[in-house]
Formats: sequence, C-alpha cells, structure tokens
Amino acid sequence: MQLRIDREKCCGCLICTTYCSFHHERAIWPDLARIRIEAETDCGPFSPQVCRQCNARRASDGAMAPCAEACPTEAIGFDQITEAWVIDVELCTGCRACEEACPFDMIVFDEGRGLAFKCNLCGGEPTCAAMCPSGAIEIRNR
Amino acid sequence: MFPYKGYAGRWLHVNLTTGSVTSHPYDPALAEGYLGGNGFGTRLLWDHVGPEVAPLAPESLLIFSTGPLCGTLVPNPGRMEVIGKSPLTGIYGDSNAGGFLGPELKFAGWDAVVVTGRSDRPAYLAIRDGRVEIHDARELWGLTTSETEKAIRDLWDDAAVKTAVIGPAAENGVLFSGIQITPQRSAARCGLGTVMGSKRLKALAVRGHGAIQVADPDRFHEISADFHRRLRANPIFEAVSAHGTPGIVSMMDALGRFPTKNFQMGSFPQVDALDAEALEARAFVRHLACFGCPVACDKLYTLADGPFAGTSLRSVEYETLNAMGAAVWNADLDTVLAANRLCDEMGMDTISAGRAISFAMELWEQEIINLDDTGGLRLDWGDQDVILTLLERMARREDDFAALLSQGVRRAAEAIGRGAEAYAMHVKGMAIAAQDGRAQKSMGLAHVTSNRGADHLKAFPTIDETGYPDEAHRRYGEAYLPEMAQPLATKHKPFLVKDGEDFGAVVDSVGVCKSGGTFVLAEIYWSDIAAALEAATGIPMPVERLKWIGERIYNLQRCYNALHGITRKDDRLPRRFREEPSPSGNARGETIDTEAMLDEYYALRGWSQETGWPTREKLQELGLDDAIEALDL
Repeated sequence: MQLRIDREKCCGCLICTTYCSFHHERAIWPDLARIRIEAETDCGPFSPQVCRQCNARRASDGAMAPCAEACPTEAIGFDQITEAWVIDVELCTGCRACEEACPFDMIVFDEGRGLAFKCNLCGGEPTCAAMCPSGAIEIRNR
Repeated sequence: MFPYKGYAGRWLHVNLTTGSVTSHPYDPALAEGYLGGNGFGTRLLWDHVGPEVAPLAPESLLIFSTGPLCGTLVPNPGRMEVIGKSPLTGIYGDSNAGGFLGPELKFAGWDAVVVTGRSDRPAYLAIRDGRVEIHDARELWGLTTSETEKAIRDLWDDAAVKTAVIGPAAENGVLFSGIQITPQRSAARCGLGTVMGSKRLKALAVRGHGAIQVADPDRFHEISADFHRRLRANPIFEAVSAHGTPGIVSMMDALGRFPTKNFQMGSFPQVDALDAEALEARAFVRHLACFGCPVACDKLYTLADGPFAGTSLRSVEYETLNAMGAAVWNADLDTVLAANRLCDEMGMDTISAGRAISFAMELWEQEIINLDDTGGLRLDWGDQDVILTLLERMARREDDFAALLSQGVRRAAEAIGRGAEAYAMHVKGMAIAAQDGRAQKSMGLAHVTSNRGADHLKAFPTIDETGYPDEAHRRYGEAYLPEMAQPLATKHKPFLVKDGEDFGAVVDSVGVCKSGGTFVLAEIYWSDIAAALEAATGIPMPVERLKWIGERIYNLQRCYNALHGITRKDDRLPRRFREEPSPSGNARGETIDTEAMLDEYYALRGWSQETGWPTREKLQELGLDDAIEALDL
C-alpha cells in the first residue's frame, strides 16, 4: 500500500499529525509525527508530506530506499506485507545517516532518546488516512 | 508534583512592572474544582482582581488559559481563553479564540500565562519551550496585527511561531479592542486587547516542541475517535463544514433574527447580497481548519477585483456580515470584507465596532446628532465610505466623535444624552451581537443573564434557534417537546439557558469549541466531556461532578459581578426589545418580556428573586464559602 496525497483538499487541521504521534508515541507530540504538513502561509495552501516508501515496488528485486542504503547497521528493512521501510530501533545507533540520506526530509530524530523514526504505515492501517476529515490523505494499494 | 495528565502542569506568571517571569506548579485543587481555561481564569480573577482594581490598572490581570483537552485528540481542541476585568463593561470579562496558539502553549509546557503590571516600554513575551523572555517591542508598537505577526516571524526566522497580538486600536485605548490569535482568529469581545495594551504588551509569541501526555491512552484514543466519527455522521456536519457561520445568514433573516438598522428590524431586504452563497461566489478560496478540527468552518476569502482588490482574510463570520452589513443597512459585500479586514488589522471587535456605527447612524436618522457632533460626517444608513472612515477614525481615536464611539455604545450614549440611550443596544455595557430576543426568546434571556454582558455564547441556545427537534429530543427528551425547539416559545427556556451556561463554562474550561460539536451540531454533551476528561486527566469525573463544576464556575462569575454592583435590575434588555414589536419575518408582532423567564431562571439557579445574587445555600453547595463572606450573605 501507499499513501496518496491530494494537496488541494488539505485544510491544515493537523489531525493527521496528532493521531500519528499518538499512534507511535502514545502522547500528542506533533514534533515526532512521521507526517508533516507544510504550509505556504498560515492560510495555506498546505502540502502534507509523507514518506514515499522509496523503491517499494522494486524492493523484492533488491532495490533499497536511500535511508536503508545509508544505514550502517542495516536497521532499516522492508516489510513485504505493508510495503513500508521500517526502522528496527534495537539496531538504530542514532548516527542520523538515514536522516542525511532521505531526499524528502521524512526521518524524524528524537534527541531525547537519540533514535531515528519514520513512517511504517502504522503496520498496515495508517491512522493519518483513517482520521483525515477532508480526504487529503488516502490509502492506495499498489 | 502535579498528579494529573492532560495538563502541562505549570503556568507562567509574568510581571511587566518588575520584569519578573515565574513558573508556578498548577494547583491540583484548581484542576479538580475548576478544570482549567475559563474556570482557572475565573478563580484567579476572583482571588486577585477585586472591585478596587480598575480594569486598566497595572495590578489588573490578563490571563491566557488553556484547558486539559486543548491540543489533544478530541475534535476542535484548539480553543484558548483570555480572561480579565473588562474595561468596556467594568465587570467580569472573557473572550475565546480558536487557531493554534493554545495547543502550541501546551506543547511549550505551559497551561496558562498570567500577566500583571505595566512595562515602562512596549514589550513582547517570547516563550520558547521552557525559555521565557520579555523583549523590547518598541519597533513593533504602532504596527497593525498582521505587520506585528510578520515582524515576529521574521525576527525568529520561524514561520511556525504562534502569536497573540494587539493592533493600534488597543494601543490607543479603544475599549473594544481584541487580541488576534494565529491565524487571524480573534479573542475580540470585552476589550481584553485594551487590557493588553494598557500593560504595554504588544504580543505573546510561542513555540513548543514537547508532548501532551494523557492518563489512559487507549481509552482516550477510543473516546476521541468516537467523537470524530459521531461528528462526521451528524446530519448538519456537511452544511456547517461547507459554509461556516455565514451559512445561517438566510435562515436567521427568515426568522426575523438578523438585526437590521440597529435592531429596528430583524430582516434585511437585500440579505441575498450577504449570504453564504454570495460570499462564496465572490471571494471563496479554500477551506481552513483550526487545530484538530474536522469541521473546518474557516475559509480563506480574497477579493480579486473591485475597489478593495487584494483584500484577503480568514473567516468572515455571520456576526461580521451582520454588523458591517444589515445592521448598518449596507448590502455591499466588498465593503463588509474591507471593514472586517480593517477591524482585524487595527485589532477591534467587529461586533462592538459595527454596533457603534449602527448606533451613530440611528442617532443621525433621529436627528439627535448633527454635523457638529460627528466631525463633519453625514451618517446616512449604508454609506460605505462612512462605515470605513468611522472605523479608521475609531481605531485611531482621531476626533472627539470617533473617540466617543470607541468607548462603546453605553458610554457614548451617556455622554451624548438627548435620548440617545434609547438607541444604545447593549446589556451591561456590551453591545448585543447578531441575535434578537423578540425572534428567539431563549436568546433574549441569554443576553440578560450572560456574565460578560449581552452575549449569545455563554448560554448559546442553538437548540431552538431554527428549531432542531431531533437535537432537542436527543438532549432533553420527549417531555420538553415541542416548545424546546420553538424559537418563540418561552416554556423550558430558563432551563435551556441555565444548562447551556453551565455546560458552556465547562466547554470553555476544557479547551474545545462551541461551534464544532458541543453546541452547534449538539453532538457532544455532559457525559461525553466527562468521559474524555477522566481518560485524559485521570481525575475521577462522574457527570454530576462535572455539572457541579460548571455551575460553580458560572456562579463564581456571577458573584464577581455582584461584587461589582450587578443586581437583577441590570439583567434587562434595551427598551426597544420590550416595547417595539418586531416588523420582521417569523417574529412579526413580537416583543419580549424577560421578567417571567428570569423568575424561573433564578429559581432554577437558586438565586435571590430580589437581588439576582446567588444565595448562601447555593454557594455552600458549590463550595464557594469565600464568596459568601465577600458578598456578606
């Protein structure tokens, strides 16, 4: 699956970021949301930014996402079922190489824990898409 | 150690006279007994700003206060309260704004900011998480609100900074100055911007990077997601979402509840020029939401051409379409938008500013004032140049007449005399918003009992506005129908108003919106808020306890007003509503007499029929023994 964004529909409510952070952190913590809303002005237009799950289509042929390729401890692996690149926090050393490598600035780094985080499509049920009131974020199966 | 979740657990005390900034732990007893937001501010005002403190004195407090659900997962949790003694009315004052500042403050680790003192030079307060500084704002003084916001964003090199700012009107002492909250939301009523200006505080700027924890994450998530599902399934969700508050313009007009020519009438013949359809056709750009709100009743409106081409603003509300439109007999939508923008930039309440103009226009019509009084302006109904000129002059208090109007209709009428009082449409000094008690009896009662003076949002009786029998049935049951849903019926309305005031006090104290489910849509009610609060905070919250808290907050505000001399005689509508039958719509031939409803309301409240003050027994029941002492009951 992948997340499909319709920028025109985004109203900038940030429900996606609150629910995203809550799903992953069990707290409302927009700074650690794995999704980000970019705003040209505070009255929009808005542009939801989500992880593209790079090269997911060719992952079975051995293609890598830039973040996974950059990771020195091979902490980022591909989940065949959800088609998401997933960080194994047990292996993450906090070197931030993935953050450097991501062309879309979608790696979230928590200084407190010294660990990197990214969108894992909520294990197959993305909460951002489920909660988005305007249809700006939807799930598309490949 | 503050034991509850949902809160940041501390509040900020800023003394602008001494320049001190202090962090205070949130008192658990305040959370348990007053929740936060409005309740927190009410208690602090009661404790620290007595009758001896003038609203604009340095010792007066200006309280920015969030609640435990602000910034969380429940729908529309972006609301923030501002509380202080109103310089416009001289009594209890509060104002509430949506947007993004409240949540940002909590992410920065603060539940509230309490400002006292007066800076010797213009200042602004910078809050970056735990780091709080008072900065020189001499460069910002005199700037309009959007110029101030931009200057702070540039100074911080951060587009995501959230602000509360005042404009020139507040600096100049206009008594109905508001506070603009990112992005273009207004805490407009009661003149709390004027209080901010008197402290020489130009702005509050906040960035926060932290988290809000909740007590029972699974339960809280379940409750919040359920609220979202119910709201989106609500039969009127789509309409409110599509059109926002302008969507009710034509309905209210048909009811005769759309004040026209300073309340001479309740319907505007050219209402089609001001309704949602006209507004959207002329200027709609996109839907916009406040923090965490699925309704997105805000819209971006931009004028592409015409004399005000380029005018762009967020949220043109029902109230402003009335105040700058029908109330002043103006059917030119572009002028309404330009007036709205001018008020936003200058930092003035569009309702009170508009009512000052309609009041003046009626005095002109009645020949109570002439060119010598008006600074040379002919105040003919609907004159678009006059509307904009008067607003500009009021904001700058440019001449004697504009300066007089900038003190609100009550003071202006007193100063003018010659019968002008008959046309000052206010209760307790607060200009009446875009409702008419003759057309909706519960609203007439709400106007007189509201603790901040004439106001629809304290009781916010939405149930009988246009007649929502399904909502009335859902909330109150079969026994209350059909009258509960009938705008002209008085039966059951004292109960509707009391219940709305108590519930509204809770809604304003937890930090959610009245237009996104609690009153408009009438979906989220006592038991819902109680469940969400308990899961978020960990404070045991049976529904009866929550009702007790709502009643307690409302009673303490009434006691505050009683200390400031308010009695039953002040709970009174202007003569026009009592004596002049409405000529309009569904309300044709109607007047309103609030006395019988008031008797019943006081009885329901446990207040004295004679004074309108809470009784000793009621205050004991509400744990307000210090109020018994203060009022010498």
